[in-house]
Amino acid sequence: MPFVPNPELGNRIITLMAALVLVLQIAGVGQRWIVSSIRIFAVQSFLLGGIAAVIGYFNQASHIYIAALLTIVLKAGVLPRLLERLVERIGIRREIEPLINVPLSILIAGGLTLLGYVVAESFYHPEETSARAALGHNTLAVAISLFLIGFFVMVNRRKALTQVLGLLSLENGLFLAAISLTYGMPLVVELGIFFDVLVAVMVLGILVFRIREAFDSMDVSKLRKLRE
Amino acid sequence: MILLGLLIVPLASGPLAFLLRKRRMMEAVNVTAFAILLGLAAVLVAQVLRRGPVSVLNGFFYADALSGLVVLLSAFAALACSVYAVGYFRHEERSGVLQEAEKTGGRFAIGKLREYYTLMPLLVFAMILVVLANNLGILWVAVEGTTLASVFLVMFYGRETSLEAAWKYAIIGGVGLSLALFGTILVYYSAYGALGTDTLAGLNWSVLAGKAAQFDKPTMRLAFILILLGYGTKAGIAPMHTWKPDAYSEAPIPGAAMLATGVLNCALYGLVRFYILSSKCLGAQFGSHLLILFGLLSIGVAVPFILVQKNFRRLLAYSSIDHSGIMVLALGFGGPLGMLGMLLHMTFHSITKPLLFFCAGNVQQELKTDLFRKTKGGLIHSMPLTGAAFLMVTLAVTGSPPFSFFQSEFTILRAGFSAGYFALAVIFTGFLVTIFSGFLVHIANLVLGEDPGLSRTKMCGWKKYSVVVLAAMIVIMGFWIPAPLFRLIQHAADIVMGGP
Repeated sequence: MPFVPNPELGNRIITLMAALVLVLQIAGVGQRWIVSSIRIFAVQSFLLGGIAAVIGYFNQASHIYIAALLTIVLKAGVLPRLLERLVERIGIRREIEPLINVPLSILIAGGLTLLGYVVAESFYHPEETSARAALGHNTLAVAISLFLIGFFVMVNRRKALTQVLGLLSLENGLFLAAISLTYGMPLVVELGIFFDVLVAVMVLGILVFRIREAFDSMDVSKLRKLRE
Repeated sequence: MILLGLLIVPLASGPLAFLLRKRRMMEAVNVTAFAILLGLAAVLVAQVLRRGPVSVLNGFFYADALSGLVVLLSAFAALACSVYAVGYFRHEERSGVLQEAEKTGGRFAIGKLREYYTLMPLLVFAMILVVLANNLGILWVAVEGTTLASVFLVMFYGRETSLEAAWKYAIIGGVGLSLALFGTILVYYSAYGALGTDTLAGLNWSVLAGKAAQFDKPTMRLAFILILLGYGTKAGIAPMHTWKPDAYSEAPIPGAAMLATGVLNCALYGLVRFYILSSKCLGAQFGSHLLILFGLLSIGVAVPFILVQKNFRRLLAYSSIDHSGIMVLALGFGGPLGMLGMLLHMTFHSITKPLLFFCAGNVQQELKTDLFRKTKGGLIHSMPLTGAAFLMVTLAVTGSPPFSFFQSEFTILRAGFSAGYFALAVIFTGFLVTIFSGFLVHIANLVLGEDPGLSRTKMCGWKKYSVVVLAAMIVIMGFWIPAPLFRLIQHAADIVMGGP
């Protein structure tokens, strides 16, 4: 008899992991050290890769494994390494100066999570009682929350590198939305997106480095020469 | 086959230029590649007109009249920019600007030239891929690719202001495109019920367009809003336009002209593809209102900044925000007239805008400033050709007859009236008239007036002929559009209306 995985179990694992991803995102909002922000991003990406693998396993969708593997290798391995090396070369550890203080930021992140759930609600059709719909419902809420909190992080941080991290965590939210809603985009599209993310981080890294050289700071609020 | 050729030519010529050591060789490769590209684009258009949509690799690449038109315009702009670039960079090198940017200590600046001649073909490759990709996911990947290739063009000169502009461009562009990606995912999700997602074809536009009526409507609604914000950011529609004046004024002139024509067309192309799906699924009304709102807002935002502008490079950027607003507004007015107006406008814009940038570039290279207050006027005496062309192209882009923008803007206005948006059409006219007068006053002050006694300058052939040929084309297009081109535009307008 072939082994048929129990979808209920899969759902629970995924929901648990998605919750962890969300917790990490909110923890990232309260971070003061840039290196720990990068590590939080790495762990979060690792979990996302795990979610993708679980979804692939329980739905027998083998092409998701490739996306999962790429996520783990690139987003949990290569990108954090690149960013950490950049931090080392710039020689600054404690970089994050949020505009809004930490407790209030975390409160705002909590509010955004709530908003994420409200938005995700509108996609939920209770008449479709399939496991897929239920799964999509929870993870989509998490995905939208990740997206919104990523936005907030970008607005809230003045340092160039932390804005890049915000952009990356926003992208993580998109990845979660893609795999939970549709079991992943077609493989070429996934590959293209990974390639783009990798190149984007390199481009932004070069930019951060040059800004740091030219302005002796990564504070993007010093970039204010171009005005009307 | 021709579709692959269109992609391979720019993709190969970028790395080829990277390997070359002589400036002349790089220039030759660049100009030849884009000339071939324009030829291929013309052949593609002929095929599409004769036999309908072309596709290869099981529909992975696909071209109908709409793609054909945009490919043709992109290839044309690329060729015009590459010819001008030869003269432009030679001048930059003679005056030592490149050496300063590369920090060579006054020696030959081959590194900067190599950077430009490698990046530009890659940017063009990404632009062509945007248009030929059938898969909406690949379309997104390619639009992001245009951003990544052009960030380096924006920070080309390595000044503090260039870094600032590049940072704004990369971050605002990145966030905007992430919205577009979210929209694309949602379109895929809303099509899930109608198509299933197992195959690659699940995101192919030609497949989606056939079944758009069965998509999940609430999801599609949210998806279209996200796409509009996302690709709208890339097209520089207000209020997501803030990167545009900085990026356009910092990039080297040929790069800026490419951003203002090719990349703008690509972003609008992406928007139009999704607009077609959304109007098939939700009816045209839903998208229309949003498009009109954003279009009119963009034109309105451009008005005060054009009136009080101190810098002529930034003036050009606001003119570009104005024009992308006009095209979005035309799409929003809808109907056969609106679509025709939008595509005509896109065509004229791609031919006229490069000349505007070239004239500004000539003036900037001669006077070594882009601020109005540092110029003394009377440029027509020291630079007769550039001065005359600048004045003429200013009249053209502000939509005065007999130039072609008058026709397209008049068509759009008619579309507005026939769709019943009387008040909005009147506001639109008011904006256009104000922009016309503001723009013309600035440029007339720069070009006309007494002779300030500058010595007559000699332009090299590359710069001269790119200005003369474009100016001639603009004059001719005011009276006569080649019949095949007009047929192509009409076919494309039918596609935007939801036809086959």
